[in-house]
Amino acid sequence: MKTPHLSESEFVDLAEDAFDPRRAAHVETCAACRDQADALRGTLREALSVEEVPEPSPVFWEQLSARVRAEVAAEPVAARSGWRWVPVRGLVAFAAAAALVVAVLSGVLLMRGVRGGDTSSPLVADRLAVPPAPTRPDTTPDAENTEVWAVLTAAASSVAFEDAHDAGMRVHPGAIEHAVQGLTAAELTELGRLLQSELKRSLN
Amino acid sequence: MLTTRAWSWTAEPGFNVTVTNPTDAELVESCLAGRRESFDVLVERHQRHVYQLCYRFVGNHEDASDLAQDVFIRAYRGLKSFQGQAALGTWLYRIGVNVCLNKVAARTPVPDALDPLLAASDERIASPAESATDTLLRGERAVQVRAAIAKLPNKQRATLILRVYHELPHEEIAGILGSSVGAVKANFFHALNNLKKLMREAGCDPGRNR
Repeated sequence: MKTPHLSESEFVDLAEDAFDPRRAAHVETCAACRDQADALRGTLREALSVEEVPEPSPVFWEQLSARVRAEVAAEPVAARSGWRWVPVRGLVAFAAAAALVVAVLSGVLLMRGVRGGDTSSPLVADRLAVPPAPTRPDTTPDAENTEVWAVLTAAASSVAFEDAHDAGMRVHPGAIEHAVQGLTAAELTELGRLLQSELKRSLN
Repeated sequence: MLTTRAWSWTAEPGFNVTVTNPTDAELVESCLAGRRESFDVLVERHQRHVYQLCYRFVGNHEDASDLAQDVFIRAYRGLKSFQGQAALGTWLYRIGVNVCLNKVAARTPVPDALDPLLAASDERIASPAESATDTLLRGERAVQVRAAIAKLPNKQRATLILRVYHELPHEEIAGILGSSVGAVKANFFHALNNLKKLMREAGCDPGRNR
């Protein structure tokens, strides 16, 4: 049975020694394909014979860098505007994590207020417009706190590691938790506000 | 000032951030955080490939140098739109191909090496056994091949340069040129066929002088 001639793609594969061996039988029996393949190989060899680009003087590279540096200095800073584009799947995951962080943060702050008796700071839950956590007397605040922090750490760490991974950085596990613990009530309020605003923006 | 070796810093208590031998992605992030000096490192890292790409399109040092500079300035301006889906080198090649094709469309490039002897000296060092005549013939062929490549249609020319001289895989070339792997192979096939025809027209049959 007669097999079809090689396609353009197959000729390229043949010239580059990446040919499908199942088609070798055709090349052996078809003089036209063999001639075409030989011509292609010859031209490829010819093109390769002028491979080298003359090497510029050693100072050229420094000069080129300096010229680019001077031009770049006159440009506005190439800062990313707003948040980075993320694939829809990543956006959903981020939105869910952000929602979780907002909700849990509000709970944590409420508990912090109850435990520490700090009534000077406004309730974050009010500022966040998230339904406030129940203020019923709590007989096991530490156990709940542990749970809350576990969820918060998991959610916050997940988000931070994505960002850190994108940025190519390594963030030590637990760093986010420590950072959040170190925030003042006002800073936590601001964090909550930012997260909520980003969450709204990402869902629009 | 950043160096190409390593940087490290410790941020707020509780954050221990260490970056060693920054990758291109890390340097891009650093640029986008406002550190222009990170772009210097990227330029130093990629300037040779970018310059060589430009040289292969225009055939002379002056234009290649200006085009390479243009590629990096455009890259800096567009850095915030770089999404990291391709390697930075691939993205720079894409900018480079566009810049070069615009340039060569605007005017005919003037190759440096019109003199076959100069062309021969551009190529691999001649073996001690090579006669002056051989050197001259080799130089002549190099001039003819370069002239023929310069006459190829844009996509074929870009494909041939990226495949033969930059040794990029077909998949990466497809990403740079915004086409499929099949289209890249077809372009490469036609580039080689047309190169053969153009060289024949110039009285130089490929494969005759191996």
